[in-house]
Amino acid sequence: MEDVTKTRVEQLIDYIMKNCLWQFHSRNWDRKRQNENILGMTTKLLCGEPVTPETPEDKCYWVDAFCLAEAYRERHPWLATLGVDQIRELMAKLHEQLDFQTITGSLNEELSDQHY
Amino acid sequence: MSCELKLKERIGTINPIFTCQPAGAQYASIGIKDCIGIVHGGQGCVMFVRLLISQHLKESFEIASSSVHEDGAVFGALNRVEEAVDVLLMRYPHVKVIPIITTCSTEVIGDDVDGVVTKLEEELLQVKYPDREVHLIPIHTPSFVGSMVSGYDVAVRDFVKYFAKKDKPSFKINLITGWVNPGDVTELKRLLAEMQIEANVLFEIESFDSPLMPDKSAVSHGSTTIEDLISTADAQGTIALNRYEGGKAAKFLEKRWDVPAIIGPTPIGIRNTDTFLQNLKAMTGKPIPDSLVRDRGIAIDAITDLTHMFLADKKVAIYGNPDLVIGLAEFCLDLEMKPVLLLLGDENAEYENDPRIKALQDSVDFDMEIVANADLWDLEDRIKNKGLELDLILGHSKGRFIAIDNMIPMVRVGFPTYDRAGLFRYPVVGYKGATWLAEQMANALFTDMEYKKNKEWILNVW
Amino acid sequence: MPYHEFECSKCIPERKQHAVTKGPGEDLTSCLPKGYLNTIPGSISERGCAYCGAKHVIGTPMKDVIHLSHGPIGCTYDTWQTKRYISDNGNFQLKYTFATDVREKHIVFGAEKLLKQNIIEAFQQFPDIKRMTIYQTCATALIGDDINAIAEEVMEELPDVDIFICNSPGFAGPSQSGGHHKINIAWINQKVGTVEPTITSDYVINYVGEYNIQGDQEVMQDFFKRMGIQVLSTFTGNGSYDDLRAMHKAHLNVLECARSAEYICNELRVRYGIPRLDIDGFGFEPLSQSLRKVAMFFGIQDRAEAIIAEETARWKPELDWYKERLKGKKVCLWPGGSKLWHWAHVIEEEMGLKVVSVYTKFGHQGDMEKGIARCGEDALAIDDPNELEGLEALEMLKPDIIFTGKRPGEVAKKVGVPYLNAHAYHNGPYKGYEGWVRFARDIYNAIYSPIHQLAALDISRDPIPTDKGFVTQRMLSDASLPEEIRASTTLRQYSGAYDSVTPLRDKTYPTFDSRPAAAE
Repeated sequence: MEDVTKTRVEQLIDYIMKNCLWQFHSRNWDRKRQNENILGMTTKLLCGEPVTPETPEDKCYWVDAFCLAEAYRERHPWLATLGVDQIRELMAKLHEQLDFQTITGSLNEELSDQHY
Repeated sequence: MSCELKLKERIGTINPIFTCQPAGAQYASIGIKDCIGIVHGGQGCVMFVRLLISQHLKESFEIASSSVHEDGAVFGALNRVEEAVDVLLMRYPHVKVIPIITTCSTEVIGDDVDGVVTKLEEELLQVKYPDREVHLIPIHTPSFVGSMVSGYDVAVRDFVKYFAKKDKPSFKINLITGWVNPGDVTELKRLLAEMQIEANVLFEIESFDSPLMPDKSAVSHGSTTIEDLISTADAQGTIALNRYEGGKAAKFLEKRWDVPAIIGPTPIGIRNTDTFLQNLKAMTGKPIPDSLVRDRGIAIDAITDLTHMFLADKKVAIYGNPDLVIGLAEFCLDLEMKPVLLLLGDENAEYENDPRIKALQDSVDFDMEIVANADLWDLEDRIKNKGLELDLILGHSKGRFIAIDNMIPMVRVGFPTYDRAGLFRYPVVGYKGATWLAEQMANALFTDMEYKKNKEWILNVW
Repeated sequence: MPYHEFECSKCIPERKQHAVTKGPGEDLTSCLPKGYLNTIPGSISERGCAYCGAKHVIGTPMKDVIHLSHGPIGCTYDTWQTKRYISDNGNFQLKYTFATDVREKHIVFGAEKLLKQNIIEAFQQFPDIKRMTIYQTCATALIGDDINAIAEEVMEELPDVDIFICNSPGFAGPSQSGGHHKINIAWINQKVGTVEPTITSDYVINYVGEYNIQGDQEVMQDFFKRMGIQVLSTFTGNGSYDDLRAMHKAHLNVLECARSAEYICNELRVRYGIPRLDIDGFGFEPLSQSLRKVAMFFGIQDRAEAIIAEETARWKPELDWYKERLKGKKVCLWPGGSKLWHWAHVIEEEMGLKVVSVYTKFGHQGDMEKGIARCGEDALAIDDPNELEGLEALEMLKPDIIFTGKRPGEVAKKVGVPYLNAHAYHNGPYKGYEGWVRFARDIYNAIYSPIHQLAALDISRDPIPTDKGFVTQRMLSDASLPEEIRASTTLRQYSGAYDSVTPLRDKTYPTFDSRPAAAE
């Protein structure tokens, strides 16, 4: 990762880590689902694409995604300078990094428990 | 006109007056210097008792747990005791005395605590701590037997039984205080000092009321030493102030080591303090000095200002530890009050034969109920649903809502008294305790009169 | 792994894996202590048992229930009147506790008959209460009483009562957390879906993992009601038994303490398709975000924004007054489970405090993930701390204040560190905007206590100032403040009442037109 992207991903991750709770559900399948859906919607919102949540589940992802996108826009003016492809690429890296920190690289030994 | 001793009529317990046996053993254990107990059971059996003690004394005390978890409950948990002893000894180099206090769970699974103590003495202590003085003392306090009161009684006996050993006769006496506060010990020691009597005090807990020192060095712990406990066998006599909290130890010393025992009375009030001093005099041959005549006079002077004008005929309910409750009831009678309901929080076959209860039954000239195995619903139900009218409640903080909800003044006394500041610092025993109690009761009534505007003007000219 | 090894625990090497210091560049893949493992016997851990986790933490806040513990009296007594979870029905749950009073003969011959008599008797004594929870204890678990069967029998005989069974003996898990889990699962298995509720709004939530400590639930419920949201049930603070049987009918689970109650949210999601939204009720910004999210879920964001604007305008100047005076003060954030992550970041952001350490008595690695993620660099994170480690950490970190439980607070007092009660609060509630200012006020009053200053002086050797008869908190806190802050006319100290909760109970709320489109 080039330095500027790395720094930006770090900034984005840092916000999630300090302010959000959705990435820390208790099992790895839930974390995967949460990260995928919320960051997926956040990416769309940042790219100006329509997100129309229909199901309760989607609405729940959407509120977290919406707030995250808002916070990113407010905190990181450089986002406005990026094109849609660049945002997608950045968010993909963020997703990868978040999955690593909360799932694949996580040291939490309870993530793979089969029961809640 | 009757005074009946009966058992609670219900089968269940609603708002218990006592907690269970291991708590009593734990309260006793913190009275001994260089002692940290290990409670063999689930962690709650320790965590909550430590919390309770810290609520009462506003201090923290160290007591360890063997932390029995699921596997231990299934397969036996003696390995947890072994590990706990080792971990405790490694990390607390000053610790010499470790009571192993059992609970319901470890008694039900049948862990052989005595056996593991022998094993630890032969193996761990000899191999790993050969130069260290360590005493492991099994104390059996299953929660389904007795109450915190009997747990205290059993623990004091077991400590004494373990340590007491004859060396050479001493002029000291053994003073077994029972479950009291630091303020009580201060007053008892003052009385002994005035009479120039030296004593092994079980337990020396004045230091429970510990300071906040600039060098941050202070810790809260009792200071009865191993030497004190050993020399109980050499004493010229034992006075156990409370029949049900320390009586067992006094009887043990008498039987095993020929140390004459006087059990009771709980020196609450003028009369019982007089008896206590007479007992001291009889046991040691020391005279009662003028200073105590004067002290007694100050107490009587203070009480005279209150008794027939304000306290007479006031109806009182009293609950808590049996010796405390009986002592308070006796004092109330001397104060012309009417203790109409006494609640003893456990079932004890000895209550029937308690001479103090018999005396109440013989002489009380109003209706008095004494309920054993009682809970706090016995009090509240009588007030709310059965027409019991009271002027005052004496008891510990767990009954606070009865007083609050029924707007009855209450003086906090006993254990625990976490909802009032600093009560542990004041004695209820001795002449000073008599004064303090009478004045607390009077002030509680005065505050209530003002709060309810019930002849509050009467105090204009007192 | 940046493990921190305590001097006092070198002799128990496994402890080393239970403490880490979050160094520069560390993240959760390199920095996470072990957690929720069996306690080391004799370590003087601060953990409680699984019975208390079930009965004391989660069960008892339910306000219209006879809470009966099947066992000797001690478990009941010990877990009674040591918390501040109030209710709006006269605090029945705080005032009354029930024990079957198991004795030796019952251990030998069984206690089922005793249990049945107890249940019937308790309902007779309190004829207005028709609901009961029975908690197993160590003793009755070991003798194998069939509590379920007895409860079924009674429910057949007394058709108007309902009984919930919680089998969570003290030994069932490394800490109280084992009991949280057991009662969550027992409740959804036994009770959810057994009552059909009256739905009064298009927007219906369960508020989960909230225990109404000093009124927290009532404060949050006030916000929800102002938005026209129906709080169908609260699990469990100020919660009603029958409301909680109807949890399956909510549109959204709003989860506060995930440590103690995420299990039921996860199960409600899987079994009934109700989504789980984790929120923070503490701190202006997290709370605003939380209210916003709940409202957005229902398409009523305007209602949330109105509340956020009003409350922020009312209380922010007061929060900021304290923030100016708390900047840089070091905190050991040493609670039980969830507050380490609820508070870690926001007290730094909004009060200017510096969190130098977090610990969790009974939490899991998941709590440490959240807590460490929210801490700044160099914070020391400790799992299942014990007495000596706590003292060593205080000596090393020299915090200005510690947020912890009552008894560890007494330990801190002796080494000159003021404490705030993280579990029961000093003068809460701490949730809500006003609550957050109350928290800041309590911290300020603790740190700038003139008596606390005196405690450090040794009159036998230190220079003793003799020119003052008193000192105020303000004299201490403002000594080095810039003049424009000291004399600010916009900032102000807390101006609320001693009791901020009771007035909420008589409040009337606006009615909103139904918005069919938003309903499920």
